[in-house]
Formats: sequence, C-alpha cells, structure tokens
Amino acid sequence: MPAPAPSRTSAPLLTLHRAAKSFGGVRALRGVDFELRAGEVHALLGENGAGKSTLIKVITGAHRPDSGEIVIGNRTFDGLTPSLAQDLGIACIYQQPALFPDLTVEENIGLRLEANGMWRKIDWRARRSRAVELLRHVGAAIDPDAEIRSLSMPEQQLVEIACAVGSGASIVVMDEPTAALTQREQQQLFSVVRELRSGGVGVIYISHRLEEIFALADRVTVLRDGTSVGTHAVPSMDEPALIKLMVGREVAQLYPPAESSPGEIVLSVNRVGCAASGVHGVSLEVRQGEILGLAGLVGAGRTELARILFGQTPADAGEIKLNGKTITVNSPGEAIALGIAYVPEDRRKHGVILEMPIEQNMTMAIHRRIFPSAWLRFGRERSLALDFIRDLAVKCAGPDAPGGSLSGGNQQKVSLARWLATKPRLLILDEPTQGVDVGAKSEIHRIIRRLAKDGLAVIMISSDLPEVLGMSDRIGVMRGGTLTAVLPGGTDATTVMAAALGQTGEKGSS
Amino acid sequence: MNRYFRELSVMGALAVVLLGLAIFAPAFFQPQPLLSLVTREAPTLIVACGMAMVIITREIDISVGSLFSVCSVCAGLLAARGWPLILVLPVSMGVGALLGAINGVLVAGLRLPSIVVTLATMVTLRQGLNLIRQGEFVNLPESFQWFGLSQSAGQWTLVIFALLFLVALGLALRHVAAGRWIYAVGTDAEAARLAGLRPQWIVFAVFVILGALTGLAAIMNLVQSPQVQPMVGAGLELEVIAAVVVGGVAISGGRGNLWGAFAGLLLLTCVSPALTHLHIEAYWEKAIQGAIILLAVVADGVRRKKSNNG
Amino acid sequence: MSSPSSSRTGWKSVVLSHEMLLAAVLVAEWLLFYHFGTTTNRRGMVVGFGTIDRQFDILRHSCEIGLLALALTPVILTAGIDLSVGSLLGLCAILFGKFWHDAGLSIPLAAALTLLCGAIGGGLNAGLITKLRLPPLIVTLGTYSLFRGLAEAITHGSVTYTNFPPGFLFLGQERWLGVPTQAWVFLAVSLAMWLLVHRLTFGRSFRAIGFSPEGSRYAGLPVDRRVGLVYVLAGLISAVAALIYTARLGQAKADAGTGYELFAITAVVLGGTSIFGGRGSITGTLLGVAAIAVLKNGLATLPVVIRMNAAQEMSGLLTGALLLLALTGSVLPKLLSGLRTRRHGG
Repeated sequence: MPAPAPSRTSAPLLTLHRAAKSFGGVRALRGVDFELRAGEVHALLGENGAGKSTLIKVITGAHRPDSGEIVIGNRTFDGLTPSLAQDLGIACIYQQPALFPDLTVEENIGLRLEANGMWRKIDWRARRSRAVELLRHVGAAIDPDAEIRSLSMPEQQLVEIACAVGSGASIVVMDEPTAALTQREQQQLFSVVRELRSGGVGVIYISHRLEEIFALADRVTVLRDGTSVGTHAVPSMDEPALIKLMVGREVAQLYPPAESSPGEIVLSVNRVGCAASGVHGVSLEVRQGEILGLAGLVGAGRTELARILFGQTPADAGEIKLNGKTITVNSPGEAIALGIAYVPEDRRKHGVILEMPIEQNMTMAIHRRIFPSAWLRFGRERSLALDFIRDLAVKCAGPDAPGGSLSGGNQQKVSLARWLATKPRLLILDEPTQGVDVGAKSEIHRIIRRLAKDGLAVIMISSDLPEVLGMSDRIGVMRGGTLTAVLPGGTDATTVMAAALGQTGEKGSS
Repeated sequence: MNRYFRELSVMGALAVVLLGLAIFAPAFFQPQPLLSLVTREAPTLIVACGMAMVIITREIDISVGSLFSVCSVCAGLLAARGWPLILVLPVSMGVGALLGAINGVLVAGLRLPSIVVTLATMVTLRQGLNLIRQGEFVNLPESFQWFGLSQSAGQWTLVIFALLFLVALGLALRHVAAGRWIYAVGTDAEAARLAGLRPQWIVFAVFVILGALTGLAAIMNLVQSPQVQPMVGAGLELEVIAAVVVGGVAISGGRGNLWGAFAGLLLLTCVSPALTHLHIEAYWEKAIQGAIILLAVVADGVRRKKSNNG
Repeated sequence: MSSPSSSRTGWKSVVLSHEMLLAAVLVAEWLLFYHFGTTTNRRGMVVGFGTIDRQFDILRHSCEIGLLALALTPVILTAGIDLSVGSLLGLCAILFGKFWHDAGLSIPLAAALTLLCGAIGGGLNAGLITKLRLPPLIVTLGTYSLFRGLAEAITHGSVTYTNFPPGFLFLGQERWLGVPTQAWVFLAVSLAMWLLVHRLTFGRSFRAIGFSPEGSRYAGLPVDRRVGLVYVLAGLISAVAALIYTARLGQAKADAGTGYELFAITAVVLGGTSIFGGRGSITGTLLGVAAIAVLKNGLATLPVVIRMNAAQEMSGLLTGALLLLALTGSVLPKLLSGLRTRRHGG
C-alpha cells in the first residue's frame, strides 16, 4: 500500500459544489461547497443535525446528492456509490464500525482490503503479516485472531482505522474517531493522522472536541442548518469564535412560553448510574409543570439515562424517587405502572409499529387498563384514538390507517399519544422533533407545553439547540455519561454549547 | 486454540465413545463390518459438507433427502438402460444442481424463508417421485456395483474419495476467497454487501452446490447395492443437519467448519452401533438424535449468552 | 363490545380480499370435485364426492390437521415456527394409549394427562426459545425428532394400542347432533383461538411481536411470556388432535401424525398468514384447512386417481406445490414495493 508522494501543490483532492440533499420534507444539505486539499487535515464542525453526517454520506457514496457535483481529481460526478468511492480512494471510518462480528480481525482486514476474485487462493501468511503490520502501525494492541464480537468499541474502531490505512486511500474520513478512546489511544491516533497527512492524504476529521481540532486540523469548515458558514484556517480561529459560528445568532423563533410556575418535585434522582451503559453520578430534579431540557452531544449519555429511568437498563447505583417515594424500575412494564413514560428516539424502529393501525399503536402500552380482562374493546379504542387524533391534530386518513402511512411528524404524534395514554406523571421525550418538518415541529412544541401546564413533569432530550433553549424551563447538560451542568432557562446558546463541549474550564477527555 | 474449541470438544466426545466401544464392545472394531459402516456413511459425509455450507450462510435445506431419492432414481434408470458411470455421474449431479437451483431461486431471489421453501420442495419431490415410480425398485446392472471392482476395492475407493473430498473442500473454505465469502454472508449479509460482495448470488450458489453434491452422493450410494429402493434417502436431512449442528456449525450462521461436521457425523454414526452393543434398542435412535441436536444447540446458546453478558 | 365495521378498512382489507379469493378457490375446487368425483354406481346410488358420508369424512379428516393449523397460527404470527406439532401428536397418542392400557387409568384421566403432556412438550419448545433465545427453527427441528423418537422408543416401534372403549371411539367415529363428534371439538377450539387472536389483547401482542419484537419490548409488552404462551398452546392443541386421531382410527401408533406439519403450515400460509409474522387470521387458516382437506379428499374420489391408486401422492404433491405458490404470491407485493423504494434512494 504505497503512500502517495507528498504533494506540495496542495491541489484539491475533493471538491463539492453546491451539494444539496433532502429527505422527505427535511433539507439536510442546502447547497454546500466544500474543498479538501492533499496533505491537510480538514475538520468538520457543527452541532447535531447541521448536516455533517449527510455530507459525509454524500462523499462516501452512501447517498446521492439531489443536486450539485463532486469533483475528484479531474473527474466530475453527480453522485457516487460506495464501490465507486472505494475505487476513487475514499475510505471512511464511521462511528459504528461496519465489521463482521463473527469473523476474526485478520479476516475482516483481509476481506476489506483484498482484491475481489473468486478463485484467488488466500495467502494466510501474507494476510496475517499485513494485519499485524497495520495494527502495529495504528498502535492497536489487538490479537489478529480475536473475533470482532469480543472487541470493545474503541478496539473495533482501531481495526477500522487499520483497514483505512491499509487501503491506501487518498481521502480518509473520520467521524468522531476519538469518542471512545483513552488518552493514550488518542495520542496514537493523532500520530496516525499526522502520518497520513504527511503522506499527502487528505483527512476529513469530524469531532466535537475543540482541543483536538486545534491540535490536529489545518482548516475547519463549520456547518449550520445544512449550509457551510465558513472555512477558516485553524490558527486564525479561537474557541469562542468557533462556537459562535456553530451556533449563530439566537433564532427568532417563537416558542410557547411557560404559563405557570412549577409545582411539586415529581422526579428526584440522586447519583444514579448504570455501569453497563456508561452513565454515572447523575443527580437532578424535575417538578410538575416543568420542562427540563437535556442537552449534550451525541454519545453524552442522555438516551442511556432515559433508558435507566424507564427500566430498560435498570440503575445499579444511586437512588430514584418518584413523588417522594423511593422506587426501583426494572422493566418498562414497571415504569409504566409507576407513571413513567418514555417516547423513544428511533420512532420507526421503537416508537410506532408501521404495519399496525394508528389506533392499535396508541393503545399498545395500556392494554391492561383499557382492556380489562383482556377483551379488546374496539369502541373504547376507537374513541381514545379519535380523541388523541383531535387533541394532537394528527393528519391521517383515519384511526385505522397504518402507522407507516403517516409523515414523520404525525408518526411522532402517534408515538406521543401512545405514551400520553398511559397517563404518566413523568414524560421523557427523546428527540421529539427529529426529522419532523417545521409546521409539525411547532405543533408538537405547543403540545408539550400544554402537557406541562396540565401537570406533567417533562424531560426533553434534544440535540436541536434552539429547541432546547426555547422550550426548557431549565437546561441540564450531559457530557461523558454524567450531568455536568444545570442551567436556568433563557441561558444563551453559547454557554450551553460550551458546557456540552466541556469548555467550562475543564479541559481534556474522559 | 480457542477458535476450534467447539470442534475439539466434539472430537473429544467421539474419542470417549470410541473408547467406550473399545472396552465394552470390541466387536465394533472388526475390520470388515467397520469398513462397511464407514462406506455406507461416505455419501452422507458428502452431503454434510454441502449442508454445512448452506447452514453457514444462515439458511437450511431439509429437502436433501428427497433430492437424493430423485437423483438416485434418475441415475438408476439410466444405468439400467446401459449408460456408463461416466455419463450417469454428471447427469445425477446436474439433476441435483437443478433442483438445488429451484431452492436457491426461491430463497435467494424471492427472499423466502428457507425452512418453509425446502419443506415444500421436500414433499413435492418425494410425492412426485412416488407418483411416477409407484414404489418400483430399479434394478442396477452388475457392472455398476462397486464401480465394477471387487467389493473391498470399491469400498476403499469410496472411503478414500470421501476423505479426499472433505479435505479438499475444507481447505477451499479456508483458503479460497469464495469460501470466506460464505462466512461473511452468514455473519452479516448487509456488511457483506457493503464490502462489495453479492450475498444473494452466494446463497444461491450454496444451494446449487448442495444439490450437486447430493447428486454425487446418490451415485456413491448407488454403487453399493444392486437396486435403488424408492425410499432411499428418507431421513437423510435430519441425519445430516444433526451431524453438522453437533459438529459446531451454528444455525445462526457465520461459524463452523467441515472438520466439525465430520466429527459430528462420526459421533452420530457411532451412536447407533454403540446402542446396539449396549443392548439398547434401535428404536431409541431417533430420540437420541433429537436430544443430541437439542443439547448441541443449547450448549451453543448458553455459551453465547455467557459471552454476551461478560 | 361490537364488531368494528371500519376495522375492515386499511390493512385489514387486504387480508379480507385474500380470504375472499381463497373462499372462491375453495368453492371452485369443491364444485370441481363434485362434478368429476361423483358418480352413480350400478345400483343407482350416488357415490363419491357428492355424498354426505364423503363430506363428513372430509370433515373428520380435516379436524386433526385443522387443529394443528390453528395451533400454528399464533406461532407464525409471532414470526416463529413449530415443526414439532406432528411428532408431538404421535407422542401424545402413544402416551394416551399407555396411560389407558398399561397404567389402567380411566379414559378421562388418561386424556387429561395427555393434554398435560402436550403442554409440557410445548413448554420444552417455549423454554428453549424464550429463555435461551434459540432460533425456533432448530429447536423445533430437534423436538420434531425427539418427540417422534420417544414415541417410537416407548412403543418399541411396534406396539399399537387398540380396543378403546366405544365411549371414547364415539369422539372420532360417531356423530353428535347429526355431525361428526370431533367437529364439535374442532369448532370449540376454533372459536377459542379466534377469540384469542382477534378479540383478546393476546392476539394484538402476537402481531406486534411478529412485526417488531424490539418495538414491542419498548411498548412494555411481555414479549417472552407471550412467545412462550404460543408454543405451550401449540403443544396442548397437538395433544387434543392426538386424542381425536386415536378416536378416529381406533388405534394409537407411533407414526401418528407423520407429515401433518406440512399440511398444517400450508393451510396457515394459504390462509393469508405471513410467514414473516404480524399478518394473518384464524378465518384464513380455517379456509386454508378446508381448501386442503377438500383437495386431499377430493382427489381420492377422482376416477383417474383411483385408477392410478395415487391419492396420497397426488395430494402431497399438490400441497407442496400449493405451498410454494402461496409463498411466492405472498412475497411478490413486498418485493415489488421494495424495488420501488430502492429506486428512490436511501
């Protein structure tokens, strides 16, 4: 795998002209210009939903842009496919490694890197030595015979990086590669990245850790709301400037205001943790009528905390009190009985069963209550569904239309209705307006505010910063599996983002 | 090596059984009956190799018994008409491959669950065959017996061929790229697709290969008796699946190898004569077969649960 | 609690039209066999398909497979499968004979114990599948062999239990209120299953689990309990079928129920239940059973089949082919829409 000769001309390896991509009604990319030069580390920055992953997927061929063009070398494309991207020398290391769990490390590297050809005899010795060499190169102390299934996430990432290095790619994309690495592993990764750069490879480096960007990157492009708000040389920037670019001005969007002051404490959590999911030492309180926004970057542990409260991964440390009484939640069934409801993040996989009618989805969590003695009461179900359809303004063909026939926003409303039907005291929402168009978004916001006013305690997990700022009465910020700050409502975006990034004076990583 | 732990434990169990037989029923090891036993199982080994490949891709084929019968009858009819072995063999394998291709199209092309598809083809083929043949035997010419050699020479030919075949295919699975693709597809078809492989074609291919191997095995069986019975091959699928599963090939795909399948087959083959020598009635055979399948699968399940929690 | 009129719209309308189609096929084949399979013999009597006796025969024969098909419907709704029902039928038949004949128990007690054994057999499947998260395919393949093997072992391959008291044989060979007795049992079980799947929350859970086991867990449904239930129930119903089988034939042999699983699965799939889970209905299964029973028995009345003496082979052949057709037909819409969405990009 020869490294390309160092190029002194810093010719662009890859250029995107006005790339645009929409999914349904959501415009993920609105005409982005991007350029990657040989021998540079180009950081890509932006908050969740800004369009980074879509941009990466366009570059690696997983998505075709709706418009715009991709220029690689001297060839222009309307769009790429994964195999074409591979042939052009683009390699990507995603956050979720795409490895074969039951095969060994050596096998995985081999399958990835060897040329295709059915009857080719496998030279195990060459395979082994290449695997060993690559692993050593990236500083991974991993046994090539180990099954991927048995490796930890950071180890799997290192295998992925070894594959990328070994494929002799000229464009390497790294999506948050250090998210789960130790200090030592990070330093090794940095030296790998630097070596790639000096070999003339162009590295696109996505990370939320500003200190890494300052340590490693030559240039940085900031994305916001699907457009690029600027590409700058890293030495010319400082942290506050970067954060300001990411967040922009306060969005002048009207959010429904709180109408009453919060009441009794509903949920009180004291130093709660769950070793398996990486959450530790979380303490917070939520009152009746209050919306506690939970901000943080992807991987900060917010969904994990929700799953602890909902009983899917029960807590093994700390104390949870509901309305003053100490409780243990060991299953979703118990949570529901206690009055805790969780509207999951992935509504297509976990929130709504697409093949079943809306009304059946809405009653799925309350069988015991609405159908005593297990008889299905279609009349009751129908009227409950109609009530919710009216209250939440669900646009559908009827209560018996299948869940899959609804738009994202309306599916979310159905998912919400299911949990409201359980008459919870605590409602946990996980990305309630993700992938929802603007109109439905504000409807959902109004609904959430109304629920709070009616006495619910609400925890709202959201990566949409304006939403968190506009909706929350208080803002909890999580980072690295724990709650690092609780800020009052009305805090400005920069402060919240800084807290999420860990820039509140404490440097370094976990 | 931890990787081969499963296969080694099967071989260990086999060693224990053989030891027990050596102590309690040394008559088992008389050369001629033992050779005959091993020769009878040689065709089964061939089919087990093919079945292992199918199961590794996370599919299953319970129609091999009926396939075997159809190939046997076709081959037998041609042989009775005077066709030489040279021509009968490829025809048998071709018929097997064709029938395997039907399974393959339905499973890989239409994405139907292989269990139900092969259940349907199993019955359709068996009943179709019975309908056409009405239970008639096919008498084979003498020149076919044992390839025209003496019985002993013929037996050795079959056994040595089967072993060579096993080694060749086993090595191919490990050392030829296409062999590794089978494992990749069985582990994670999506990842395989992203890595540039074509999972559907690979699945189709293993069904065709299993069919062809069944045709080969039919010939190997054909030369061992003077006639083709209509019920030949009945129960073959269960025997083969049991051997393969016991040998460490996981139903969930992606793991296992032919050495384990071989050991599993030997183990199960020894069970029935072991039963006889222990004076346990032969009627326990099916129950023990089922119990062994369950034990093997449970052991794998418990081991997987432990490794997921740890 | 009234029957929802508009629940027949939306996705249910597809199932309904499938059932309508199947009903039409059923009527068509019935008419076909009536026409070709009914003759007048020398004495001027009507014989063959068109006689009441023959129709009742069809009813009698279809009860056992019908029960197994009913048992399999919830299993397949949860996206599972149970290949061991036929073998369990055989084992339960033998056990019943043993309880009555060798242990000297009274018929009702022997029957009750047999039902218990059926539930235990189903429980074995249930335990392995839910507790160890093993694939239903291989578990029930193992028990398919194990149960049949136990039946053979217990009877040493040759023992047949006969000479059951007429009170018991009444169940299988006589009529009650003008209709074969076992039909009443079948009716009762059909009604119970229909209520379970279509009128109780259990059926709802089965479908949800079939469509999305993870999503069901998130909704707080007790997935393991429900899945365990369907297999235990399947075992119990297999035992009922065993009793009826024994009563009909007047004997209990180890090979009872051999090959029944194919017919049962075909009936279920023919009836519109998706092999991938979630979709399906009891009425569809009943229609599927009827279609297969008529096919199986009608073939035996066709003169050409009688001449060839190939009734069993023809019915097996056609049933297998029918299953393949039904499977292909069920998956075509999915495949076509899959092609459509793939063209629109990820």
